Amino acid sequence: MTFEIDINGRTRSVSIERGEPGRFRVTLDGTHHEVDAVRVGVHGLSLLLDGTERVSREVQVTPATVRGELLVTLAGRTVAATVNGRRTGRAGADGGSGAHGEQPVVAPMPGRVLRVLVSPGDEVTARQGVVVVEAMKMENELRSPKAGRIKDVSVTAGTLVEAGRVLLVVE
Amino acid sequence: MKVVVANRGEIAVRIIRACREMGVATVAVYSDCDRDARHVREADQAIHLGPSPASESYLRIDKIIEAARLTGADAVHPGYGFLAENAAFAQACTDAGLTFIGPSAEAIRLMGSKTAARAVAIKAGVPVVPGTEQPFNADATAEEITSAAAAVGFPLVVKAVAGGGGKGMRTVEKPGDLLNAIRTARSEAGSAFGDSAVYLERRILQPRHIEIQLLGDTHGTVIPFVERECSIQRRHQKVVEESPSMAVTPEIRRRMAGAAAAVARTVGYSNAGTIEFLLDADGSFYFLEMNTRLQVEHPVTEMVTSIDLVHWQIRIARGERLDIDPEAALTPKGHAIECRIYAEDPDLGFMPSPGLIRGLRPASGPGIRDDGGVGVGYTVPVFYDSMIAKLVAWGGSRAEAIARMARALTEYQVLGIRTTIPFFLWLMRQPSYAAGEYDTTYLDRLLAERRGESFSELDGADEELATIAAALDAYMRASAQAGAQGAGSNMTRWKQGARHEALRG
Repeated sequence: MTFEIDINGRTRSVSIERGEPGRFRVTLDGTHHEVDAVRVGVHGLSLLLDGTERVSREVQVTPATVRGELLVTLAGRTVAATVNGRRTGRAGADGGSGAHGEQPVVAPMPGRVLRVLVSPGDEVTARQGVVVVEAMKMENELRSPKAGRIKDVSVTAGTLVEAGRVLLVVE
Repeated sequence: MKVVVANRGEIAVRIIRACREMGVATVAVYSDCDRDARHVREADQAIHLGPSPASESYLRIDKIIEAARLTGADAVHPGYGFLAENAAFAQACTDAGLTFIGPSAEAIRLMGSKTAARAVAIKAGVPVVPGTEQPFNADATAEEITSAAAAVGFPLVVKAVAGGGGKGMRTVEKPGDLLNAIRTARSEAGSAFGDSAVYLERRILQPRHIEIQLLGDTHGTVIPFVERECSIQRRHQKVVEESPSMAVTPEIRRRMAGAAAAVARTVGYSNAGTIEFLLDADGSFYFLEMNTRLQVEHPVTEMVTSIDLVHWQIRIARGERLDIDPEAALTPKGHAIECRIYAEDPDLGFMPSPGLIRGLRPASGPGIRDDGGVGVGYTVPVFYDSMIAKLVAWGGSRAEAIARMARALTEYQVLGIRTTIPFFLWLMRQPSYAAGEYDTTYLDRLLAERRGESFSELDGADEELATIAAALDAYMRASAQAGAQGAGSNMTRWKQGARHEALRG
């Protein structure tokens, strides 16, 4: 079975064949890995890697609040992942560099729009503040995921927004 | 004694723990979204206050007093935040015949006004940061504000009179930014504290934020503690606290503790309180403000002194005399560090990240203390502060405490939402943090130098590992689903077979 996994803006193809019970032959970008994997709880995986070396790592794979996105947690760090392109958009996560095409800026949590800092047609730089949303008693500045031009602005000051609502689009 | 814990989250759990250790009964209070919260489950009794917004629940003085009446409680612990520094609440408790576990309403009122508190410090002979002695009226003209600012000098800080937690606070570098800063500070202060009055204070360059915890009993004894170092701040919000401070010599400690005790004695202070100072690079310090409550960061003091501050709050409220050895309170044993774990995404500019907690494994082991406030299956709500736990590490030395904290952060798992754990792990590994060379501007400068890299940056091997894990997870879920469907169709065939047998018979 083959999966397209996207982590850190990089899409890689992973194919998995089942071996002995608990053993998997994993091929990542053409390189083979022998992996001993068992489930620990609902979200955990204990992995023993690469045959004789038996490197031990614990990883958690959990659905995120953004639909279609997974959170992969290993040793205190957490990154977002998607499987087979099931991603609904995540503002700002990729920073300025690799972002191409139209990118939405979405509200990551419910709140109230305090200020819209740009207008359609404005040129913005990557990570420039574009909308200020008030939530959890704090003012949160949402930033442009890429350098580009503001296209659609669908909110104004005072708009109440749900998590995941597209506030504007940068092209 | 039965105590109503007028708070939520980790501090409510912390207070309930202390009460249980002392054989004191507890009553939790909760809002709509907190019915399944941990503090409700851990208390002996729990009373519903109202809808989720704090103004309709945790800030409703009448409902909290009513909760005490309904349950026959005789005391109220306010925790921190919400009504903890609300003099009207302390007074309402007293008027209802309840013991308020904290200072008198009068002390809260006096020290809660930053300008009045400055006057108290001056009276106690403690130096204060130069600034305006009176807040501006709501209708103060631009000319009045500008000339007052010129007298204070730039750079300066606009502060809310009722402020705290960095809200309603703005740094102003040059005169042109002043009026705008006053406007935003007023609006933030108005919505956060219901009081939009602001004043100005000179900004000390490269200051450290050092504070002195103290306890006062109702018999006139005041005991100051070893300092807490709270200079690691993001936008004026403390995120890491330590005790002791690397910048404080035993000599500075004694002078600072003496100054703090003098301020407290001047107002006849009782129960737990904290005096905040700015420490300048040359060793001089200035009174900043007094917090008339238990602080978020009180555990670091407890870890280096082995004195339980919440136990003492309750004992003092019962009228007991402080019998702590003043030297033990002032002499740190080892070093403690606290990280405030927030439901925020550090990779999205520390955006709040409320949501369902699908898994939780707090760190433990030698030297580790977890003051948590949430559990698995709980949805971190959007209505309140997003702190979900405080992780505290103790070590015989600061280096050992940092190593333990880093180790604990790699163990700590909060699944389903983003947290600040990756940020703290990154910070613990910064050479400049390990060297202890920082002031209150350090963290914001360090963060500004970053170019949007993730705090969860993975090396090649870890990125491969994460990729393989995500694929294996998808593979196992697909297999389990296929297995379940297979079992279902087997069952159908078995049923058909049984039916066939029955018909034949």
